[in-house]
Amino acid sequence: MTNQETRSEEENAIHLNYMREALSMAELALHTSETPVGCVIVHPSHGIIGRGMNATNRTRNGTMHAEFIAINEILSPSPESSNASSLTNLSSKSPPFVTENEEERKSLYPFPPRILNESTLYVTVEPCIMCASLLRQFGIKRVFFGASNEKFGGTGGVLDVHLGNGKVSGIESNETVRTTSNQEEQMAHRRNGDYEVSGGWLREEAIVMLRRFYVQENGRAPEPRRKADRVLKLEVEPLEGGGGV
Amino acid sequence: MNSESAESHCVPAPAPAPPADGGQLIPLKTILEIRAAVRVLNVYITTVPIQKASSTLGLVRTLVPRDGGYDFQHLRRFAKPGVVPEGVRRRYFEGCGEDGPESLRSSVDENEGLKEEGCEEETKIFLLIAATSIISPSSLLPSLESILGPGVKLSTTEIPLLAPTSAEQAKGWSEKYWPCVYKKSIPFGPHVAIVSRAQEEVLRGVRGWMDSAWGLADAAREEGVGEGVGVVIVERRGGEARVVVGAGDGRWCRWGREEGGEGNVTAHAVMRGIGMVSEGLARDYTSPSAIPPFPDTEGGIFRNHPLLDLENDLPEKEVDVGGYLCHDLEIYCTHEPCVMCSMAIVHSRFGRAVFEKRMCGTGGLCADEGGLGHGLWWRKELNWTMLGWRWVRPLGFREGRVDVVDVELDA
Ligand SMILES: [Zn+2]
Ligand SMILES: [Zn+2]
Repeated sequence: MTNQETRSEEENAIHLNYMREALSMAELALHTSETPVGCVIVHPSHGIIGRGMNATNRTRNGTMHAEFIAINEILSPSPESSNASSLTNLSSKSPPFVTENEEERKSLYPFPPRILNESTLYVTVEPCIMCASLLRQFGIKRVFFGASNEKFGGTGGVLDVHLGNGKVSGIESNETVRTTSNQEEQMAHRRNGDYEVSGGWLREEAIVMLRRFYVQENGRAPEPRRKADRVLKLEVEPLEGGGGV
Repeated sequence: MNSESAESHCVPAPAPAPPADGGQLIPLKTILEIRAAVRVLNVYITTVPIQKASSTLGLVRTLVPRDGGYDFQHLRRFAKPGVVPEGVRRRYFEGCGEDGPESLRSSVDENEGLKEEGCEEETKIFLLIAATSIISPSSLLPSLESILGPGVKLSTTEIPLLAPTSAEQAKGWSEKYWPCVYKKSIPFGPHVAIVSRAQEEVLRGVRGWMDSAWGLADAAREEGVGEGVGVVIVERRGGEARVVVGAGDGRWCRWGREEGGEGNVTAHAVMRGIGMVSEGLARDYTSPSAIPPFPDTEGGIFRNHPLLDLENDLPEKEVDVGGYLCHDLEIYCTHEPCVMCSMAIVHSRFGRAVFEKRMCGTGGLCADEGGLGHGLWWRKELNWTMLGWRWVRPLGFREGRVDVVDVELDA
């Protein structure tokens, strides 16, 4: 899965560097009792434009994965802007994202959504199916990940959402498969949104981080585990079993 | 794009006539049910004298241990010629040419349409040997002939790869491919009894909840905050069901359409509904380790607060899920949720999901061949499964109201 061999030393060093940044986000999550998954989003000329870590625990929202947090950071109005706070309270009828004044827009929103089309995500664990679809719909350019996610993975683990929205996956070669959809139909779904994926980058470090999380959470005994922790446990499971730990 | 014609090519027409006033809930099929219906495997078959049947199978087991990893539990390993489909028999004997065992052929003819008792004259029975991908005839034949004598005839045929999911399916496959058996114990989806009990409960309220969801969808579109997609989240406790959250799509709220793209992906109706539930949960959440309040949900791109008057109209907001995401809540969606939203429903531990409009190009819940085929509502490997239905209105009910949502939209 990893393409590290086919890239130049210099290029590998760059990717590994960004993956270390993602790992430091995972470590931050670990310190706040969140599943240690972290990510950074990198633009070729702006560098790191967004950082994210898993936040399902503190938000009580099972969808607040690192990828959502990072994209939120990139596309949110800039906090320094004096207008920003009033803008967030505007009603639905207020002017949309683009104002007539381009300068004003830039001061409120440093990056337009299409910046993701030129950006690369570095994430410590393979994006889940939900996040793989999020990235597809936002049009991310590339994804580098550390550990595979055999139970929830959306970029190879369970589905191939990054290729044709996963439509052609799940077909094994040594069986005759009857399918009504022909090649053309499948190609029609291979269109906007496909992105490049490369896995295995600092995989061991990502897994070690998850193991530290287990130790830490188990160390909280004898207090009974809070219900929210069950969510975390399930999310980590695939890496224990299928990740080849 | 014409959504109606596009829909008709991938959605099988609901067969039974719906009740005059209500409409119909169609249980979703699991990916295993769908795959089982379409997947076949090529195998070798032969005929063996009854008295040599078990020794021949013993030989096969040493040649192909554990059947090469294939599970044949749902198939008859030995089959009397009378129960093997006619086409399979014919292909086998055609290959035999003039050397074909005359006695066997005649006994087959006699057996047709007769009770099996009383004409047990056949001396040979069919044996399912192994998958053709596992072993070659050249390594199979010499071994078989060492037991059965020279002139062993092999034929290939297709068998259903996975076990049938109903007695009717088993019967159909037995007539088409190879005799097979239906075993209730193999889980391909939620238990039928659980589905039908839940379906009765859902049926009592689905129409009203769907109407509310469409109301939110219309409002979202008319007010320009999003596409015409809506959801309603229902809590059911002690037989009482009530709406706890309603959300319309908000992908265009404070978002420039001029920028291109699909809008704010995090503001799909499902994501907003889940976000609203979590806001309620987070409100009385006191962290043991004094985690600072999460700063990003209010001012960022998430739309977890009401945007529409209708979303504020709901009487109560407190949800009792034991502080545990959307555990066992129910979600009613105007449109089949996209892959992201379908997986968000799984992550959030909903107990039941119902949608009305099938989204062939983008929907993540259905397993049907006509769509993406992900079947996310019930997949064993995901560690959370729910119950799922498509809701079908009585014919003509939505006359005069047009669903303007493009079939290729990610709902
Ligand atoms: Zn995710
Ligand atoms: Zn969606």
